[in-house]
Amino acid sequence: MDSRDSSSSSVPNRDGTAGDDDGVLSVTAALAKDAALYFQSRKFAECVDVLTQLKTKKEGDPKVLHNIAIAEFLRDGCSDPKKMLEVLNNIKKRSEELAHASEEQVESGSDVGNKVTSGSKESSSTTHQVSASHSASTIYTAEFDTSVISLNIAVIWFHLHEYAKALSVLEPLYKNIEPIDETTALHICLLLLDVVLASCDASKSADVLNYLEKAFGVGNVSQGDNGNILLQQSTNLVGKLSSVPSSSLVSDASTPDLAASVNASENPLSRTLSEDPLDEMFSTLDIAGQNLSRSADLTSPKELPRTTVDRSIFGVDLKLKLQLYKVRFLLLTRNIKLAKREVKHATNIARGRESSTALLLKAQLEYARGNHRKAIKLLMASTNRTDTAISSMFNNNLGCIYYKLGKYHTSAVFFSKALSNCSSLQKEKPLKLFTFSQDKSLHITYNCGLQYLACGKPIIAARCFQKASLIFYKRPLLWLRLAECCLMAVEKGLVEGSRPPNRSEIRVDVIGKGRWRKLLIEDGISRSGLVDSVGKDDWALGGDEEPKLSLPLARQCLYNALHLLNCSDSSHLKSLLPSNSSLEENESSDGASSKNPNHKSLVGIDSKPSTLSVGLVNSNGDLKEPKAGTNQEMIHNSVAYFADICRKENQMMKQALLANLAYVELELENPLKALSAARSLLELPGCSRIYIFLGHVYAAEALCLLNKPKEAVEHLSIYLSGPNKVESPFSQEDCEQWLTEKPIDCEEPNGGGGGAATAAKNPSPEGMQEFMFLKPEEACGTLYANLAALYATQGELDRAHQFTTQALSLLPNSTEATMTAIYIDLLLGKSQEALSKLKRCSHVRFLSSNLQSNKSS
Amino acid sequence: MGKKMLNFEEQCKILNLLKSSSEQKSIEEMLTEFFTNPKLRHFNVCYSLSLLLQDKMMLSSTERLVAFAILHRSYSSQKSAANPFISFLVNAACDEGAENYERAFILHLLGFGNSNSSKEFLKQSASEYIKKFDPSSQTFPQKEQLQKQYLEKAHPEPYACLLKSTAVKNVLADPDVPPGCDANSAEFDLEPGAKSKLGSGDRDEALSGLIANLSLEGLIPHWIRPLPPRFPVDEELVWLNPDNNHELQWDQGMCADTSRGAAVRDLIAKALRGPLAPNQQEQVLVELANDPKLVYHCGLTPRKLPELVESNPLIAVDVLIKLINSPEIAEYFTVLVNMDMSLHSMEVVNRLTTAVELPKEFVRTYITNCISSCENIKLVDKEKELLRCNFIFKIWHALHDVKVGPFFWLIFSCALGFVLTCRNCQLKREWKDFLNRKAFSLTNSVQIKA
Repeated sequence: MDSRDSSSSSVPNRDGTAGDDDGVLSVTAALAKDAALYFQSRKFAECVDVLTQLKTKKEGDPKVLHNIAIAEFLRDGCSDPKKMLEVLNNIKKRSEELAHASEEQVESGSDVGNKVTSGSKESSSTTHQVSASHSASTIYTAEFDTSVISLNIAVIWFHLHEYAKALSVLEPLYKNIEPIDETTALHICLLLLDVVLASCDASKSADVLNYLEKAFGVGNVSQGDNGNILLQQSTNLVGKLSSVPSSSLVSDASTPDLAASVNASENPLSRTLSEDPLDEMFSTLDIAGQNLSRSADLTSPKELPRTTVDRSIFGVDLKLKLQLYKVRFLLLTRNIKLAKREVKHATNIARGRESSTALLLKAQLEYARGNHRKAIKLLMASTNRTDTAISSMFNNNLGCIYYKLGKYHTSAVFFSKALSNCSSLQKEKPLKLFTFSQDKSLHITYNCGLQYLACGKPIIAARCFQKASLIFYKRPLLWLRLAECCLMAVEKGLVEGSRPPNRSEIRVDVIGKGRWRKLLIEDGISRSGLVDSVGKDDWALGGDEEPKLSLPLARQCLYNALHLLNCSDSSHLKSLLPSNSSLEENESSDGASSKNPNHKSLVGIDSKPSTLSVGLVNSNGDLKEPKAGTNQEMIHNSVAYFADICRKENQMMKQALLANLAYVELELENPLKALSAARSLLELPGCSRIYIFLGHVYAAEALCLLNKPKEAVEHLSIYLSGPNKVESPFSQEDCEQWLTEKPIDCEEPNGGGGGAATAAKNPSPEGMQEFMFLKPEEACGTLYANLAALYATQGELDRAHQFTTQALSLLPNSTEATMTAIYIDLLLGKSQEALSKLKRCSHVRFLSSNLQSNKSS
Repeated sequence: MGKKMLNFEEQCKILNLLKSSSEQKSIEEMLTEFFTNPKLRHFNVCYSLSLLLQDKMMLSSTERLVAFAILHRSYSSQKSAANPFISFLVNAACDEGAENYERAFILHLLGFGNSNSSKEFLKQSASEYIKKFDPSSQTFPQKEQLQKQYLEKAHPEPYACLLKSTAVKNVLADPDVPPGCDANSAEFDLEPGAKSKLGSGDRDEALSGLIANLSLEGLIPHWIRPLPPRFPVDEELVWLNPDNNHELQWDQGMCADTSRGAAVRDLIAKALRGPLAPNQQEQVLVELANDPKLVYHCGLTPRKLPELVESNPLIAVDVLIKLINSPEIAEYFTVLVNMDMSLHSMEVVNRLTTAVELPKEFVRTYITNCISSCENIKLVDKEKELLRCNFIFKIWHALHDVKVGPFFWLIFSCALGFVLTCRNCQLKREWKDFLNRKAFSLTNSVQIKA
């Protein structure tokens, strides 16, 4: 009420000094100023009061409505962000309608096209009025500028982890960022950077990072007219900054400007004199703002923002922030070496101030390098563990490390601790918007899923993945994991109506006694009955219902993953094709596009042609370290390098997906589909030998089921080196290579323990243990056994017999091989040999027919 | 558990049937009785019986006859070729190792030779049939003959899986007798009341066990289908880092003074219509410089650019330089490229080339347009000529440091063509000197131009 009184008392004064219109203007301006001050001091209730007054004076003004919405939302403890989104979207729509209406009004009213360039780009490029003379420009689109509303919408999406949605709001803003005032622009950029980093979009991160450094840091802003202008406004500082010798952010710990910046912030008085461009920029900003706010009648609206630049992003802070962003970017692109250097630089900037972010990034770096012990040590050094949000991250990260160490149960403990941290975080009051984004329980749940899968608990793992699908549904890997859960559940007999739990066992009914004793071999490993379990797809994404794991679900998941992968492939291709192609390239296509020159490269993002990426990774897959040239070059190289990694990973994933698909289709008795999956697998370029082997085996089986034994033989005989000799389809190295496809930077700092380095290079024993697959000799045995089965059906019993002998010598415990061998013996009339094989096999269970009790052989 | 072929009722039925075969009931009677149950699954029953028949020791002679009769009767309403067990029957009839009465019985069943008396022999019991059987009365036809008669019109093999269609019987005899003893000798049969000895067993027990456990599936060769490996967990675990907090932003534009830059907007509007006074021009430039964002709100659009260029080239240059980072700059350039060539437009382009880095594409297009308009206009007055000279010279310098590839020569030759018609002798001389310095081949350039 105080505020209302004071402001209302000031009305007559202003009325007295100015004309009627001006009076109203100044009243509203004063109210707006009051409200802004309340807002800044976080007195939201008072703020709303003032705004309500304002609203009566400016009925329907979208900006007033917007600020009311914001203030009320914060006053009420951010309880319903979804509703807030709705409110903001409505205001935005209204604002746009008003802008449109006023535009039309101007056009019809004054017979001229008064095109104002700010605002949405579409509108400016669609309507063209050639004739222009009279300025009807009382209309001013800044009035209907929706950039702040949009930003706030994106902020809320961001806190709700809806990165794609946030991105869709932010991208148009970013594309047209130049006309937006600096403070908002900076917020947009920082938010966008967080969004694209969170969605692992390296190339967009690089764009924004480059732009941020250019516009708010170093680099040349190509405004050629600097120097002759009074440097009073913050933005001009950017121009001035460009004249400062660059590379203050080119991170070399020994560059002199760093020392300068250290001095600068140790002595705040000398800040304005400092050579550090960022410090200077923001301290100037600050001072200018204070001056302006003191001289009240100078509060022209465009100056107002300058007075209220967010206090959290002053010079050093912003610099540190940018540096940490860069580290995150480098970690995302797995440019470990540079990340290490940049993180060092970041700690220098932070100068001993507690930065849990920096510490966690450091730990992540060591984690990424495979120095798990060191990573643990760094995490332990974090002092800020009383904070619930931080401790949930801390526990989660420890869980990750222990997972990598192969200690799944320890990691499970940490993950569940992290989850309980999260749930207590949600109970904390008052609720802040930040609380939503700090709740990472879905991320942690995903980790849990992986851990359960590693522990062989497919059902609970699937439940985790299902929960995490709320945020990860666009990741092909999630769907692959779900499919793996299904396969594991089926394999373990946990699926209703599927085969008996232990299918690696031959069950033999012993019937009768003495002379009349008969052995009836139950075909327990026959796969019939699985098709009966085909249920409806009774699992909705994100639903509360527990996923019912089944083979059809596995198939569905695999198709999802393949689809997503193909989508990302094509978009990946697009990003590789230089969308904002440099001009050297245009030259080759001389004149083709001359009428519509592609000026996008001017917008501030230099992206060089992708040729740079070529040769970054040599044929051995070793990383040639991206040379640290200029900042931009470094960032660009990282993007190219990361694109390469992603391409490789996608290739690997595609192999796994197709192999799984072929397997699932075989299990579901769809040999045609299995065959086509296996064939696509074999056609993949750069397919691992392991998966080539699987492709051939699956294709051969599918062909067998399709009664095409000749073609089936072709697939298997690829591995025949002699008439009856199979060569190993893959080697141990192939397995290891598959596990360590990613190149690891394994340089130890200052000659520290080399053990960790070698451990990082070679797959750890835990890693191998996780890789549960046939050994090369078992693969040979598989080929022998399948060849035997194939020849047996073809009536080539002698050959089949030879193969089966070799198969049994390599796979003495394989039930399939034993069964085939018995089958062949029986066909050859050697029932005695068949009997003895049956009795020798360790996986036979003899069941007395009457008692049905187990009787071991 | 594999699928059992027979349900309990069927098992009892079969066991009873087999037991009663030794009685003095006629075969016909037994058959009728057997088929009273309509729920009987004929195929399963027949298949079980056929499996039992394959083992020559398992069933007694009378039981075998009855079993064969069932196999035949189950499908007797259809043509013989439709009987799924017809080849089994034919094979059994031709089995040299089998008893002759059995073979004869099957032939009778099939109605071979004497079709009219087909039913008569079933009026007797199985044991009677065996007893009364006269080996001399029966001739055994060749297998081919039987096959021709009963199988010829058989349906083509239905589709069956390769692996499964080759199944073999999954019952193995595993006589548990002391080593060295003949498992087939009757000494191991369990005598009722006698003390059981090692290796003895009860046939009936085995039979009922078998019948209870038979499954439809035989033994087939097994394919090893390796489970694909799990995808390695690499960078997949989510590492968490603290997020930056992003607060909701206050809209500072609320109730803002919308008159910002009104003066400039007015001046720009004026500037579109005619040259501004020097002090006005100065004002525009200063205000634009003071507020870098003002340029976006000064009321200029790409479509209005030509007028501004013609009236106030200096302001146009300034505005364009300020808009260089604007997303609309491409549009401005497009307009600039396509507007009529004039001294002012050249001036603007020229100044732009020195002030900012223009997209080469733009420069190139601009030059092409200029050249074509150069060629099209007649040399009316000295001013235009001078203008052209100047322009080419300027562009030449502008392009000096830029690699323009073939375009270089195009301009060059154009310039050359101009020089030849140039009346300004001094300029002509300068050009010629320049060309000489570059050791430029005339013929070459002309060729390229063509």
